[in-house]
Amino acid sequence: MFLYQGPVKELDDKFVTLIGKFVADIKHGKIRGSTNRVLAMVTLLETIITESQYTTALELCGAIRAAGRQVMAALPNELGVEGSGESLQRLVLAAGARRATLGTAQHDLREPLRDYIAELRGELESSISSICGQAREHVHGDELILTYGASAITEKFLRAAAPRKYKLILAEGPDPTESHAMANRLSAAGVPVTVISAASIYAVMSRVNKAALGGGAVLSEAGLFSVTLAARHYRVPVLALVPLYKLCPIHDLTPFNSSGSPHTALSYDHHEATSDNVHVYAPMYDFAPPDHVTLFITNLGGSSPSYMYRMLSELYDPSDYLL
Amino acid sequence: MEIDKENVVQAVVIMDTFNNHFSPICDNKPMGLLQVAGIPLIDFALESLSHGGVGEVILFCCKGGQKIKDYVRSCIDNKAIWSVTMEVQVMMSDTCQTMGDVMREIDAAGLIRGYFVLTTVNSISNIHFGSLLEQHKQTCKKDKGAAMTLVYKKVSWEHPLIASDKPTFLAADANTKKVLMHQKYKPKSTEKSINLPLEIVLNHSEVKLHHNLVDASIALCSPSVPPLFSDNFDFQTRDDFIHGILINEEILASSLYYTLLKGNQYAAAVTNWKTYQTVCHDVLHNWTYPLSIDTGLSYQNTYFDMGNHNFRNKNSTLSRSSSIVENVLIGSKTVINDNTVVTKSMIGKKCVIGNNVTIKGSHIMNNVVIKDNCNIVNSFIDDNCTIEENSVVENGTIIASNVVVQAGSQLRGNILESTEAEREKTLMKSTSESTEWENESSGSGGDDFIGFEKTWSDSESCYSSDGSDESSLPDSPIPEDTNIFLQEVIDSLARGYEEKLKNDYLILEINSSRYAYNIQLHEVNFFVVRALLSIPVLAETKNVLSTVKDILKYFKPVLSNYIKTKSSIMDCLRAVEDSCIKCQWLEGKCGQILHLLYEADVVDEDSLIEWRQDLEENESPIANQPSLVKFFEWIEEASEESDESE
Repeated sequence: MFLYQGPVKELDDKFVTLIGKFVADIKHGKIRGSTNRVLAMVTLLETIITESQYTTALELCGAIRAAGRQVMAALPNELGVEGSGESLQRLVLAAGARRATLGTAQHDLREPLRDYIAELRGELESSISSICGQAREHVHGDELILTYGASAITEKFLRAAAPRKYKLILAEGPDPTESHAMANRLSAAGVPVTVISAASIYAVMSRVNKAALGGGAVLSEAGLFSVTLAARHYRVPVLALVPLYKLCPIHDLTPFNSSGSPHTALSYDHHEATSDNVHVYAPMYDFAPPDHVTLFITNLGGSSPSYMYRMLSELYDPSDYLL
Repeated sequence: MEIDKENVVQAVVIMDTFNNHFSPICDNKPMGLLQVAGIPLIDFALESLSHGGVGEVILFCCKGGQKIKDYVRSCIDNKAIWSVTMEVQVMMSDTCQTMGDVMREIDAAGLIRGYFVLTTVNSISNIHFGSLLEQHKQTCKKDKGAAMTLVYKKVSWEHPLIASDKPTFLAADANTKKVLMHQKYKPKSTEKSINLPLEIVLNHSEVKLHHNLVDASIALCSPSVPPLFSDNFDFQTRDDFIHGILINEEILASSLYYTLLKGNQYAAAVTNWKTYQTVCHDVLHNWTYPLSIDTGLSYQNTYFDMGNHNFRNKNSTLSRSSSIVENVLIGSKTVINDNTVVTKSMIGKKCVIGNNVTIKGSHIMNNVVIKDNCNIVNSFIDDNCTIEENSVVENGTIIASNVVVQAGSQLRGNILESTEAEREKTLMKSTSESTEWENESSGSGGDDFIGFEKTWSDSESCYSSDGSDESSLPDSPIPEDTNIFLQEVIDSLARGYEEKLKNDYLILEINSSRYAYNIQLHEVNFFVVRALLSIPVLAETKNVLSTVKDILKYFKPVLSNYIKTKSSIMDCLRAVEDSCIKCQWLEGKCGQILHLLYEADVVDEDSLIEWRQDLEENESPIANQPSLVKFFEWIEEASEESDESE
C-alpha cells in the first residue's frame, strides 16, 4: 500500500509539455473517438515510461500517477464519460508495474513494461471487433432494433449484424447531421433504416424488439435516459455496447455533467438568448441507471449489470481506485 | 521546416482599441488584461486562436506592451495550453495612434508571410480560423483582388450586441458574397432611410442586404492588406480601409468579401460597457463553448456549478445565510459573509464581502473589500478597492483600482479614479465633474461614449445616465478664437471705461485683435455690443440700467463706428439677445436695454420690428419677456404718435 501514500512526483518539463499537448489535442477535437483517445493516452504514458530515467516500480508509479492526476484535472468529463479509459490505462499500467516487480524492485522494469503495453494496445485495438463479433448472437432476423444517435461502435455492431435481415429505427441524437450520416451509411450497407426524431421514441418503443446503445452506455450523450426509460416501460431489452476500457473505477460525480453551447436549444440570433431572465441549459451527458440496462456487451462477452463489479475488480487493483 | 512554416496560419492581434470607452479602467492597464467573466481578454484571444488552428500569433501593443509581454511569458512558463501549439510574438510600438499605423508598422517590419487573420484583443469567438482562412484563399483564387473577408455574426435586431453598438448595414452580391456597400450607424441612430446606389442593383443579379450583423472585428486578410495601408496614409481604422476599398475599388484593384458565422459559432467584440456585460453573460451561459470561465492556464476545472448559472470557485467561502440568486460567478478565495445577496454579478479573486451586502448586476474585480451593509448595483469596481460600511454604489458607477470609498458614501453614476501621482487614494471626480468628463470623452474621442448600463438588461435604456445625452454635443459652443477675441474686447473696453481712455484708441485696439484672430466684420459688430453689455462693472453694480446708460453714453463713438448699416444694426440686436440670455445681470431687462439703445440712436424702428419677427420665428427664450413686450408696445405707440403728429 505504501506505493500510493508517497508524495506525487514532480514531472519533468518535457513530460508536462507532452501532457499539455495531449490535453490541447483533445480539447481542440484533433483526437476524436474514445478508442483513439485511449490509444493516444497509452502512447503518452509509454513515452513517459520509456524516456524517464526512473527504473523502479515506485518511481515509475509515481510518475504515472502524477501524469494521471494532471490529465484528470484538465479533463474531468472526458475521464468520466467518453475517455474513462484514460484513467484506467494508467491504473492498469501501475498495476502491471507492481505485478511484475513486487519484491524485485531493483530491476529495470522498462523492458517488461513495454511488452505489457504492446499487449494492452493489441487488446484495445481488438476490443471493438470482438464486440462486433457477438452481434449475430444478439440481433436476429426480422427484429426491430432501435438505436439512439450516432456512435462508431454501434454502427460497426449493426453493420456486423446486417446479414440477419433486421430492421433498424434510428432516433436522432443531439447532432442530427451525424445521425443522418450514420443512417445513410447503414442503409448503404443493406440495413433498412428508419430515422425518427428523439421525441417519438416513446411512441415507437412498443414495437421495438431490442434497443442497442453505444457511446458510453451508462453515461452517454444527452437524451439517452428517455430511451432507456421508454424501453423499461415496455420491457424492451437494452443492450449496452461497452469495450472494457470504458469501465472506470474512479469517477468524480461532482462535475458529473458539463454543459455545451446552448445553441442546440435556442439560437443565438434571438435576443432572448442574452436576456437575463432566460436560462438555457444544454447538458452534454445523460445517466442511465444500471437497472435500465439488460445486458452489457463487453469484449469478453455479455454480462449483466450486477456482475460488472466483478469485472472491475479483475481489471484493477482495488488500491488503485485512489490516485 | 521551411515548407512547414508556410502552412502555419498567422494571426495579428491588435492589443489596443484606440478609444477611451473603458476609461479610466484601461488608462493604466492594457486592454488585454481587462477581465471578462474572471478571465483576462488576452487569455480568451490566445485560447480561441489556438483552438482555431492558428500557429503563429503577433500581438501588437501600442501601450503597456511590457505588461503584456510579462503576462505572456508567465503564461508560457506555466505551460498554458496554447503555448504548446502556438508561437506568440509580442511587438511594441509607442508611436502608433491608430490601427492604420499598426498595419503600416507591420508592413514595414515584413512580418506577414501570406494570408493572415486580423483580429483585436477585445473580440471573443470560438470559430475555426484556419478553415475560414482556407475559405478566403478559395475566394482569392476566383478574384485576384480579394483583399479581406469580413466575419460577421447574424443576430436579431433587438439583440443587445446590436442595440448597444454601432449597427452595420451591408449590401453584398448574393452569389459571390462580395461587399458592395458598408455603412456604420451611430448607436440608436434615428435615420430611417438607407440610400442604395442604383448601379448596385443594376449590376448584380441578386443583392443581399444585411442590417443585423454583429461585427466581431475579425477579418481574414490577403497579403495585400498591409501594403494597402502603407499606400494610403488616410486609412486610420478598419472602417476607413473598408470605405476606401469600396470607393476606390478600381484604383486599388481590391475588393472585399464577407462571411456569416453558423449557428454554433460565436463571435462578439467587447467595445463598450454594454457589450462587456453582454459578453460576460454569454461566457457564463456557455455560448462561447469551448471557451468558458475555465479558460486560462490549463483548464483546471475549478468551478462548482451551483445551478441557475451560478458558479463558485472551489476555494471560495460562502456564508450559510448568504444567497446567490442567478448568473453569478465567484472567484477563488473570495469570502461572502452573512445575509449577503448576490445576483447577476461577477466577483473576482480574493474579495471579501461583508454582512448584509446587496450586489446586483455588478462586476467586481480582484482583491476588493466591501464592508457591511453596502449596496452595489450595476457598477464596476476594479482591483484593490475598498468600499467602507453603509455605502451605496449604483447607476453605472465605475471605480478604478486602489480607491477607498468612505463610509456612508452615495455614488450614483460617478467615475472614481485614484491619483497615482500623490500616492493618495482619494476621490478625484465628484458628480458634477463626471458629466464634464463625458463631454470631454465624446468630444475628443470622436466616438460616442457608451456608459455602463443603468439596469442590467433593460432593452429600452441603451445608454446609462452617464451616457444619455452626449450624442448631442453642447449646442454650438463658441469656437476658440472668437472666444478669446470676445474676452480681449471685453478687457479693453473695461479698461477703457475705468481709465477713461479715448474711444479712438479702443477702436484701434479692437481692430488689431480682430485681425489677430481673423474675425469677420459682422462678428466684430456682434462681439463689440456683446462685450459692452458684459463689462465686469455691470455685474458688480446695483443699478444695472443706469450703468448701462453710462456705458452707452461713454462708448457712443465706438458704437457709431461699428453700427452703421442696417445689417450691423441687426448684428447689434442679436448681440443684445445673446447677452440677455447669457448674462445674469441683464435678466429680464431686455426691453430697457433696447430702449436705451433706441434713445441713443443706435438702433432704428424698422430693424427692431424685423428683429422681433426673427425672435418669434426662432422661438427665442426672450421673445415673450414682459419688458420686451412692453418696449415694443411703446415703440408702436410712439411710431403711431409720430405718424399722427406729422
